[in-house]
Amino acid sequence: MPEPAIRASNITRNYGDRRALNGFSLEVPSGSTFGLLGPNGSGKSTFIAMVAAMETPAEGSLEIFGQPPARELRGQIATVFQENSADPLMGVAEYLRFAGQLFGLGGELSERIPELLARFGLAERGSDPVSSLSGGMRRRLEVARALLHHPRLLLLDEPTTGIDADERALLWETLRSANAGLTILLATNDLAEADAVCDTVAFVQAGTVVVSGTPATLKANLRRESVRIGWESPSESDLAQVASWPGTGEITRDGDLVAVTTDDSATFVPRLFELAPGAIRSIVIATASLEDAYFQHVRRRQEAAPK
Amino acid sequence: MSTAAVIARRDLMAVVRSRSQLYSSMFTPLLFLVFLGNGVSAGLEPSNLPDGNFTAYLVAGVVAMTAVFSSTFSSASYYRDRDSGLLRLLLSSPAHPRTLLFGKSLSALVIGTIQGIVVLAVAAPFVDFQWQYGIAQGFLIAIAAIVLLNLMLTGIAQAMASRIQTMQGFHLLMNLALFPLLFFSGAFFPVDGLPTWLEVLAYANPLTYAVDALELAAYASSDATFIGLGVDFVVLGALSLAVYLLGLARTPKLTYSGS
Repeated sequence: MPEPAIRASNITRNYGDRRALNGFSLEVPSGSTFGLLGPNGSGKSTFIAMVAAMETPAEGSLEIFGQPPARELRGQIATVFQENSADPLMGVAEYLRFAGQLFGLGGELSERIPELLARFGLAERGSDPVSSLSGGMRRRLEVARALLHHPRLLLLDEPTTGIDADERALLWETLRSANAGLTILLATNDLAEADAVCDTVAFVQAGTVVVSGTPATLKANLRRESVRIGWESPSESDLAQVASWPGTGEITRDGDLVAVTTDDSATFVPRLFELAPGAIRSIVIATASLEDAYFQHVRRRQEAAPK
Repeated sequence: MSTAAVIARRDLMAVVRSRSQLYSSMFTPLLFLVFLGNGVSAGLEPSNLPDGNFTAYLVAGVVAMTAVFSSTFSSASYYRDRDSGLLRLLLSSPAHPRTLLFGKSLSALVIGTIQGIVVLAVAAPFVDFQWQYGIAQGFLIAIAAIVLLNLMLTGIAQAMASRIQTMQGFHLLMNLALFPLLFFSGAFFPVDGLPTWLEVLAYANPLTYAVDALELAAYASSDATFIGLGVDFVVLGALSLAVYLLGLARTPKLTYSGS
């Protein structure tokens, strides 16, 4: 079995009194696209910073390609940060040249920069200032910058935040055709995106990996269908009754929104209207998604956590 | 090209692109020289200056002031880089933080030195310099003093900028630390003849030796009433190198803040 690209074991890290990572463990297979999913402040960015050797674990062990994180390994790693890192006053190609030289590239940049600009749809913008690019173009520029030095490991910290669906699709399409064998660690809040692009995902909450696996495996533990119910003030007894119905899986509640997984919505929905006539405001039925799995694992833990 | 040189070039380009910073940093010292120099010369006619003309005397002080401003503004590029996000890229690169610091200090050194030389060169034809060592030699001595002065101030500014969280805090501390040094350096009035306690402060002030060397190089007709080039360059050279290397020796506190 090939060595994992990242192996984290029982990592902890505090910022003052706040514990950012708390027994954080996972393995990212080489060549895979691995998603870290969790709410803001759950520790995703801290872990990414550790993999990039920009933070150090207080406890536990972390290996990147079998070695502890070190500055020397950064030539094999690239990070796309949540915020843009391009100086808006620099030119697009100038920024890429600067970044390439920071990572030790020289003459090959003359070919590499036009190649990446073309691949990311920025060929016409090479001499324009970064400040003239749209939000989506800037994100593409960030990813192009990250791929300049042919990294083996690409760290993406919410790379598609704030860009539209077309830009997002284009970005992923281009990434898929990027370096062969590239390992991608993606930190995101976007469950649909992770479901679409990740081979493996880990749900992170309060600095701990709650569960990990392939999206298919995580969804397999759910019932076949997901029913999202707009339910006005559901009582605990009503919810308990729903839970007792045959074929009902996980139930999660967020105010007046109740999410239920079930084997058979055709039977489930009429029973629901019988149980709470007049209180059901809306119903959406869908095939169970990664979001349902996320609700099952993370929301339940959040609700169970001491306030 | 080395990483430090890449960073230095980028910072230099940022200053060149920032027209307002470029022009104001060039014209402010010259305006200072024209208005303050001529105003004080005409109004007060300071008679205790070694060689009379106050505007000519003030040139060295304005060059020193330019170095103070330049090192401060150039070193503040940390904050611009942090705000634009570029600092994250720098810190995620294989370069050691000290290399980053060195690259940034190089650009600050180049900018400060060029500005000092420009102020001196623009002022020289219009003021009554004595050039006691000859014009060419005097210019070379002045350039050496300007380089060492900028080396020292850049070392101080870089060390502060890489450790202070806010740009406001950085400017406040730089003003607090450097302006008193500027006032008691002979930049605006001769050290000789000050009350004893101020004279002691002035001789303990490293800027005094830079200003003295600059006055001797261009303004003065003799070494009398000045400290002397030998002492100036020994003190300035030793302090500049020590401060600069000390500033680079400690790893800067520039960190990625994760969530």
